[in-house]
Amino acid sequence: MSMRVTTLMSSRATLRDLNEGLGRLARLQGQLSSGKQITRPSDDPYGTSRALALRGELGGLDQFQRNVNDGTGWLNTCDTALGQMSDVLGRVRELLVQGGNDTAGPAERSAMADEIDQLAESLKQEADVQYGGRYVFAGTATDTAPYPLGGVDRYQGDAGTITRAIGPQVELPINADIHQLLGDGQPAADDLLLNTLRDISDHLRGSTPADAAALRGTDLQRLDASVDVLNGIRADVGARTNRLAVASARLSGLAVDATRLLSDVEDADMAQTITEYTTQQAAYSAALKAGANIVQSSLLDFLH
Amino acid sequence: MTSAFFGLQTSLRGLLTQQQALDVTGHNIANANTAGYSRQEAVLEPTRPYIVPSNSVNTGAGAQLGSGVDVAAIRRIRDQFLDLQYRAQQMSLGDATARTGSLDNIEGAFAEPTDDGLAAQLSRFWDAWSDVANAPENVGARAALVTTAQTLTASFRTISDQLTAIAQQAQDEYDAITGTSGDVENIASELAGLNRAIGDAVFRGQEPNDLMDRRDQLVDRLAQLAQVSVTDTGDSRWRIDFGGVTLVDPSTPTGYTWPQTLGRTPGGKLGALLELASASGPALTYRSQLDGVATDLVRAVNTLHTSTPFFDTAGTTAATIAVVATAATVQTGSGTASGENDVAQAIARLRGGSTDQLYQALVARIGTESQAAVRAQSTAQSLVDAIEDRRQSVAGVSLDEEMTNLIRFQRGYQASARTMTTIDELLDTLVNRTGRVGL
Repeated sequence: MSMRVTTLMSSRATLRDLNEGLGRLARLQGQLSSGKQITRPSDDPYGTSRALALRGELGGLDQFQRNVNDGTGWLNTCDTALGQMSDVLGRVRELLVQGGNDTAGPAERSAMADEIDQLAESLKQEADVQYGGRYVFAGTATDTAPYPLGGVDRYQGDAGTITRAIGPQVELPINADIHQLLGDGQPAADDLLLNTLRDISDHLRGSTPADAAALRGTDLQRLDASVDVLNGIRADVGARTNRLAVASARLSGLAVDATRLLSDVEDADMAQTITEYTTQQAAYSAALKAGANIVQSSLLDFLH
Repeated sequence: MTSAFFGLQTSLRGLLTQQQALDVTGHNIANANTAGYSRQEAVLEPTRPYIVPSNSVNTGAGAQLGSGVDVAAIRRIRDQFLDLQYRAQQMSLGDATARTGSLDNIEGAFAEPTDDGLAAQLSRFWDAWSDVANAPENVGARAALVTTAQTLTASFRTISDQLTAIAQQAQDEYDAITGTSGDVENIASELAGLNRAIGDAVFRGQEPNDLMDRRDQLVDRLAQLAQVSVTDTGDSRWRIDFGGVTLVDPSTPTGYTWPQTLGRTPGGKLGALLELASASGPALTYRSQLDGVATDLVRAVNTLHTSTPFFDTAGTTAATIAVVATAATVQTGSGTASGENDVAQAIARLRGGSTDQLYQALVARIGTESQAAVRAQSTAQSLVDAIEDRRQSVAGVSLDEEMTNLIRFQRGYQASARTMTTIDELLDTLVNRTGRVGL
């Protein structure tokens, strides 16, 4: 025997189907208006944990990018200052070669010595360069001028390293050790640049044959050694700037990937959602039409 | 031989019976949309036949002459077995519905995945440490870090409070249903009254169909709340066991006993509410797992932040986690130099570490459990719907059927009236036209 279908049954079934259809429409509508297919964890628990991890990763990549930008600014400041120092050393070498010639008279040599002293001060000035209010060449003692102008030639900073996190567990030092170039001046007798410049200045002012010999011999050698050290530091800073540029490009690439993955996990596929929505809407209209007919007709319509 | 008026009596019975059957049909039609109503049927039965004595017919044997029809009973059409199945599924549905509601609230409390969720706030917290590492000399960056950390701890506390409230809501709902004048007591007292009325009617030989419908409907409602079993005590009165205790018992003076302490696993909505409110329920379990995330965060940060604690060492739960560091005491480096950032750098490196992973796993677990609950509810709902359809198929009123019955009984009534007219005409012939020869 077939199932007995009663009035309440068909109206209940119709209502239930309409409700389900409307529920599906509402869910798709939510996806369309928010653009997300995951609005709460139960929509897709695995997708949610992936989305959270990717969001975290994306946040991290943004932060690393900011760190890279900050580090690049810092290294550029270092590089500019080191470039200026390089120019200064060029001028010193010119003066030294002129001063070593026997043609220069005492007055000229004294003027040269004055200029050397000025150049030494300008080297210290370059070493005191700041980035965002911080002394870039002072190690971690960033609030202390490494070579205070008009003061002694001794280094006031420390040997600390400043790093920037440029990737997960990747940290790059961004400060250069200027102390190994400039040294602590004549009292330390360390043969480093400030000591050399003060010696050159003394030798220019001096008039003994030994002074002239030193100018032509050891002073030139010591200066050239310092030029090598400076070039080494510049090359190192340049290499690290390049590394930051590479890291920046890589971080942008990773951010694009992570954004795409996150979008795959979290965002609704608009074309698919709209198609599904249209289909559901058609199904819902059909259910409405059918329901209206089923519920309305009965034997009563045909009895007179 | 029968009386000349015998046929009139038979027709009268026909008229009265068809009329009564029409009344039953009318009752069915009137209740076509009444919830819990079972269709009724007038059971028609031939009345006791007239015994024609022997030797009065040609064969010499006696005969039985039918004397018409009567309504033997008005019975309710219902399948008790479907009721049993329906109540078992109602219990699962009650359980699943309460569970889904609570888990839905829990998901709402976590508000993931959004830009305001705890995951996003943790990410901002690590960002703030990175910013401090980039500018350790900058008081502004440290102050921003402290503010970010305070927002983070406030979020921990808010979620923890909401989870506590969700567990408390389940307990409150349980108390409201089981308390004085709650659903259970109201239903039980009505059932006790129905038991008495039904017993009295059955004792008088009547079938109290509508009272029985009402009783079935009330037991359906009880079944949603907890496990129900019904025993007929022999006189159509029911003893009803509810959630492990005897709730309705016709042999007691009041007919029911409430309040009582339900069994440990009463089942149904009440069982679910008890579990949802308990320490092992989802809300408080997830709260203690959130405590685990908070503990991990406090431990991880404070271990690296060696000068003074960054987070209050006493507050290791989600409800008590608090920032004690100020912009002045935030430690950026292990030494005293202003530009040192190794500590800030190390804390920023915690990004994506155990704290983030614990939290993500927690959210995934909540999502999985909530999804399972939604599925269980939808399954229970469709089972209840299917059984309700079958119940309706048996007990529901079909207007088409009732209209057919209407015609059937109307025609029966008309035909009985015609029989009566015919007999009347016979009598007219006998009384008024017989013996008038020659008149």
